[in-house]
Amino acid sequence: MSDKWIFWFEELGTGDNDRVGKKCANLGEMTRLGLRIPPGFAISIDGYERFMAETGAGEEIRRYVQENREHLKEIKNQIIASKAIRNIIESKEMPPEMREELFRFYDQLKERAGDKELSVAVRSSGAVSMPGQMESYLNVRWKESVLQKMIQVWGSAFTTRAIAFRLEKGMAMEKAPIGIAVLKMVEAKSAGVVLTVLPTIGDLSKVVVEGNWGLGESVVSGEVNPDQFIVDKSDGTVESTVNRKTKMVVYHDGGTITANVPAEIQGKPCVDPEELKEIVRVAKQVEDHFQTPQDMEWVLDRFQSIPDSLYWVQARPAKYTKAKEKESEYLAELMTRMFKR
Amino acid sequence: MKVYDVVPGLEFEPERDFAQSPAWFLDGTHSVPPWTPMFGWFWINFCRHGMQYGAEKLSLPTVKGWDWRFHRGGGYLTLLLVHSEEEKQRRETEFRKAILPFIDNYDELWGGYVKEILGRYEKLKALDLDKASSTDLLDNFEETINTCRRMWEIHMYMMYGTYTAYILFENLCRELAGIDDTSPLFHNLVSGFDNKVFQVDRLLWEFSKRAREDGLAEFFLGSKPAEIRGRLQESTKGKEFMKAFMAFMNEDGWRMQRMSEMNMPTWVEDPTPALVNVKQFLQKGGGFNLDAERSKITEQRKKAEKEVLAKVPQEQRGWFGRLMLLAQKSGVFSEEHDHYLDLYTHAMMRRSALGLGRRFAQKGTLNEAEDIFFLIPDEVRRAGINPDQFDLRYIVDRRKAEWQEWQKTPNPPAFLKEGFDMDMAMGVLVQSMDPIALKVVVGAMPQVRPELKADLYGTCGSPGVAEGPARVILNEDELHLVEEGDILVAASTSPSWTPVFSMIKGVVVDRGASLSHAAIVGREYGIPVVMNVFEGTAKIKSGQRIKVDANLGVVFILNK
Repeated sequence: MSDKWIFWFEELGTGDNDRVGKKCANLGEMTRLGLRIPPGFAISIDGYERFMAETGAGEEIRRYVQENREHLKEIKNQIIASKAIRNIIESKEMPPEMREELFRFYDQLKERAGDKELSVAVRSSGAVSMPGQMESYLNVRWKESVLQKMIQVWGSAFTTRAIAFRLEKGMAMEKAPIGIAVLKMVEAKSAGVVLTVLPTIGDLSKVVVEGNWGLGESVVSGEVNPDQFIVDKSDGTVESTVNRKTKMVVYHDGGTITANVPAEIQGKPCVDPEELKEIVRVAKQVEDHFQTPQDMEWVLDRFQSIPDSLYWVQARPAKYTKAKEKESEYLAELMTRMFKR
Repeated sequence: MKVYDVVPGLEFEPERDFAQSPAWFLDGTHSVPPWTPMFGWFWINFCRHGMQYGAEKLSLPTVKGWDWRFHRGGGYLTLLLVHSEEEKQRRETEFRKAILPFIDNYDELWGGYVKEILGRYEKLKALDLDKASSTDLLDNFEETINTCRRMWEIHMYMMYGTYTAYILFENLCRELAGIDDTSPLFHNLVSGFDNKVFQVDRLLWEFSKRAREDGLAEFFLGSKPAEIRGRLQESTKGKEFMKAFMAFMNEDGWRMQRMSEMNMPTWVEDPTPALVNVKQFLQKGGGFNLDAERSKITEQRKKAEKEVLAKVPQEQRGWFGRLMLLAQKSGVFSEEHDHYLDLYTHAMMRRSALGLGRRFAQKGTLNEAEDIFFLIPDEVRRAGINPDQFDLRYIVDRRKAEWQEWQKTPNPPAFLKEGFDMDMAMGVLVQSMDPIALKVVVGAMPQVRPELKADLYGTCGSPGVAEGPARVILNEDELHLVEEGDILVAASTSPSWTPVFSMIKGVVVDRGASLSHAAIVGREYGIPVVMNVFEGTAKIKSGQRIKVDANLGVVFILNK
């Protein structure tokens, strides 16, 4: 176990996937590409293991699982186990040394962000794909709550589904390859996603931007009908669909809530042409770098103006219908059959 | 000296031609009223060539294109069917490969051809016809002939490929999503796209806004069509307006007043039809917003796309979405190709022929420049380099007299061999599976539903219901008679009719299918179109109040 368990994003890159989880490694890589990401740091998987070892939580979990192993095949017991294990983790205090080091980073983050009233997002960063959503906490303020949310994120590696998955795959129960990203919350005017491909048909000549007022959660979760802009990569022509957006996600009391969008902006596009252009420009650049279509999440800071207002919180290869050649042959076959009676 | 047939080797000859095919159909969309001899020569030779070229390049499994004959200024067509099963199979194998460029690289394919043909036009236009030597004039004419030939190759290859995709999409919509091409949802799916013809229309609308702002509206609204241009020249603002307008004409006005003929001026020569379009926009008043109208339709389309994709099983959406995109492009192609191909080439033919015609008139070969439209290329060649040595007026006299005769009696809709009737003939068309025959010529047959008590039964070209005064228009010269709120009744429509679609409330056409001009443009303007009523122009009189219900495909005459 290495001593260093907290990293600034700029210290990380794709190669650090196993050390800090995908999200953090990715944020690191994004920094290297020159993308503006919210300032923040990563807690490594070593950090998790150190916490589990020093607090004794790891041992307790191991014991609990051993005692209950034969009952764990049943779902209802998995639900009980999930609660019990999360209780074990959440009942533990952060060991003093870890606590101190974390606060040191946190204070430096405040300086970096130039914001004494800093509020952060505490997001899970799994190193492997794991079914069952791991938690993320938004709009966290004050050092103590950051500690608490970190522990909760670690606990969230033990959802019922995650337990079932580990049993099925014969994975060690107390192991959870989970990192954490702590990053500044951007005061979002609007936020959303951008894909450098039309995913439904694999049309690589287009970029599609979707967004809503407020934080990006409403777009990512698909709860609202967001604005949609389809931009042609070669000539930049835009096909806009501006929807009536009645709900948005905003900060509230150390968390987020769904609020009503003020009536006068419901029917307005949530990005202006300059902002759209910048989002598309950066997304295309990232696509060029990785040589594969990208699926990225963007946020526009309400207190800054473009290009400084544009922050990126996610970049990953886009999932889209790839079987283009197969599809072409299939379509040709269907067309040929048309001539038969 | 013997005077040739108008189209040597391709004049209709019952004895021989019935032996080849029992049914020859009149192309009523393009050859009514009858063509001038020169235009007929171009069309019969090269449309025929293009269809066979396109069918061959794609290796269409069941059909080898169309054969054409000329008869009294009319074009008559029949299909060249593939007869043996063995040959069909061989062609299928080829077709499967030949259709791939349409599926994989549609935009590049079409964009490349547009570039090629525009390049040819630029070369033709580069010659100053009035200063050129006779040899250069003849050379320009020969190049124009080659351009027309090439235009039809591109035209028909693209059209066969594009429409094949469209028909497949229609079929699959029926199977996978339960909607067919007469359903409003389907129409919403294929409308709301920009194309070159709409861009021109939009510029005309912009000019109407400028005319209003510059205080020129009165010159338009208070003048007869032919006077508008003169009235504008009376004021400084008007002169500036005309200058800008003529610059626009030089860019986009290379089109014919009648799409498939060359004896009427292009917009570049006489912008009156375009100025009438501006006037018609002015009549709509300042509140009219073409962009808003069109974006509404685009919204509807996007909604329809989501709705239809949701009906298709997830795992099939990938290729289905691509097919949808291709089908949507075919609507764009249908409109746009007229601008880039037919209209522009015909304008080039007119330009080049008139250049020679003027020279011939100077040298005494002809009485006047326009008489050249009564010659065919072989005759033009005879006098081409040394026009002063030849007198071709006797040919013109005779042909002109014939042409005037043709105008008096309409050509029959079909020539049928004894014992063969129209139903059997239609059966052959359908059997051919020819994508163009199915989507442009034949169309779906209307269902007569007596319980609706309608006066005419047709099919839906574009959904909606409208009521208003009928305006029966038989050819393009009468388009200025159309007024705001009319319901247009016609045999069929073509791109030169597009601008009036923004004024009218609905359309009734005698013949048409889902890729006919009236259907495509009706969908883009969001007005109801009832097609294939067969007797609309015969039964409806201008001024009668009529109600069209395109959703049901019917027309009611309210005051008989």
